[in-house]
Amino acid sequence: MMRISLCEAFLEVIILTTDLHLKSVEELAPLLESKTLSPVELTKAILDFAEESQPKINAYMAFYREEALAQSKKIENEILQGQYKGMYHGIPMALKDNLYFKDKITTMSSKIHKDFVSDYDATVVEKLRDAGVIFTGKLSMHEYAWGITNNNPHYGPVRNPWDLDKIPGGSSGGSGAAVAAGASVASLGTDTAGSIRIPSSACGIVGLKPTHGRVSKYGCYPLAWSLDHIGPMTKTVKDAAGLLEVISGFDHRDPTCIDVPTDNYVQQLSGNIKDLVIGINEEYFFKDVDADIEKAVRASIQSLVDQGAKVEVVRLPSLQYAEWAELVTSLSEAAAIHHSDLQKRPQDFGDDIRLLFELGELPSAVDYLQAQQVRRQIKQEFTEIFTQIDVLITPTLPVVASTIGDDFAELNGKKVDLIDNIIRFTGPSNLTGLPALSVPCGFKGNLPIGLQIIGPAFKEGRILNVGYALEQTNPLKNRKPNIFANI
Amino acid sequence: MSLSIQQLLENKGITPKPEHLELLKTRWEGIQSLRSHLEGIAIDDADIAVRSIPGGDHLDN
Repeated sequence: MMRISLCEAFLEVIILTTDLHLKSVEELAPLLESKTLSPVELTKAILDFAEESQPKINAYMAFYREEALAQSKKIENEILQGQYKGMYHGIPMALKDNLYFKDKITTMSSKIHKDFVSDYDATVVEKLRDAGVIFTGKLSMHEYAWGITNNNPHYGPVRNPWDLDKIPGGSSGGSGAAVAAGASVASLGTDTAGSIRIPSSACGIVGLKPTHGRVSKYGCYPLAWSLDHIGPMTKTVKDAAGLLEVISGFDHRDPTCIDVPTDNYVQQLSGNIKDLVIGINEEYFFKDVDADIEKAVRASIQSLVDQGAKVEVVRLPSLQYAEWAELVTSLSEAAAIHHSDLQKRPQDFGDDIRLLFELGELPSAVDYLQAQQVRRQIKQEFTEIFTQIDVLITPTLPVVASTIGDDFAELNGKKVDLIDNIIRFTGPSNLTGLPALSVPCGFKGNLPIGLQIIGPAFKEGRILNVGYALEQTNPLKNRKPNIFANI
Repeated sequence: MSLSIQQLLENKGITPKPEHLELLKTRWEGIQSLRSHLEGIAIDDADIAVRSIPGGDHLDN
């Protein structure tokens, strides 16, 4: 009897510590805390897989193998001495390459900044270090975060782990591909028009854009100051909740950071959504959507209704100007940041972003200011609807991931402009600054579909709980990409 | 007087890539059409809500 249970226990440990790269933080953390798994072993497994997968998906800009292994030894000692700090202690992670690491190169996946070394850590990096995260490297991105394909002219395209011919979405495409494939247990992305949620949707992972001001942007190279956000990109909703707990909080060094109390987001994941009121906006968020995406999103909403939620249809008329306001604001702010380089060394930008910077020189001051007026109207309409509903649910994207190199997407048999369409449903939450979560909700063929949950300001706990309720009932939640399937 | 996109950019010391000129024109027209005349939205006296905080970046309690 004793022998059998020892065997069973041994087998359980083997199962728990096999395919470490596929495991989520919520699966790994108890193994680290109980000392069943060493952070050294875990870090080595993630780095081995990341290096092996690099020729396939090209997610990394740089590997920090030696430092990561040295750091994992130090963290192993801390845990052995009973100093376990929490969910992210001993978790290996790589971050998007626009977040500054002290004395390390941060390239923004650009040619111009290829040798840029920061003399300080970004606030989020500092917070992750304090939580005991082990940094395995930096991840590729669309150059200067100004695009959604991650087809980078200087460092090559990042490939979608679900189909290597497809884009991972962007601009945090390296983060999306790495987390989906298992080359990073979790990651951070940045989001100006959807750059966390787009690759999260395209790669089948969870992506959270927190409320503007919830997470400090200090030490993040800007794309457009008033629209930029930093947030978690993870395998599960619980991982995102835990990561938000680590990185959120007021920071006086970021002028847009807001001094509001943070929450225990993991504790709020009850999965109970009884009497939750879900808002649906048909005119904007369900117009011109791929039929399979629409079907998957509506089916997910029905599954929430089956769990006790109610649905209310809401109207948001000002959204018809959201694309214009988003484009004018982002183009103008980005052009201001890169104005000098556009004058002096335009040839050093990739062609696609050079075009966007040139375009950003065209709006007048009146255009920019009117865009801010529109933005305020949109914010007010959202404030009003959140007196009637608890969350607004939309598809994250109207299309699935397109083929690398294409500048169009397929939408119900028609070719449509890729960039205009892909940011259509994510952009409004950058204008309003409201929190928005993308969670996987199905597949079109082999390509993931994401659903977006938008909430009132600083109600990240609420949208995470709705995402959690969906995740628990998603029959496809254990489906994983296999990038080596065709070898 | 209306300036071409090329003249407008050159006045700012920016030399657009020649292959971009046609695309810039199309894209800019596309953005303008999204704007339309801002009909159906009350922005005439909408305050853009940019705050200038005396003494620093944050309101200290």
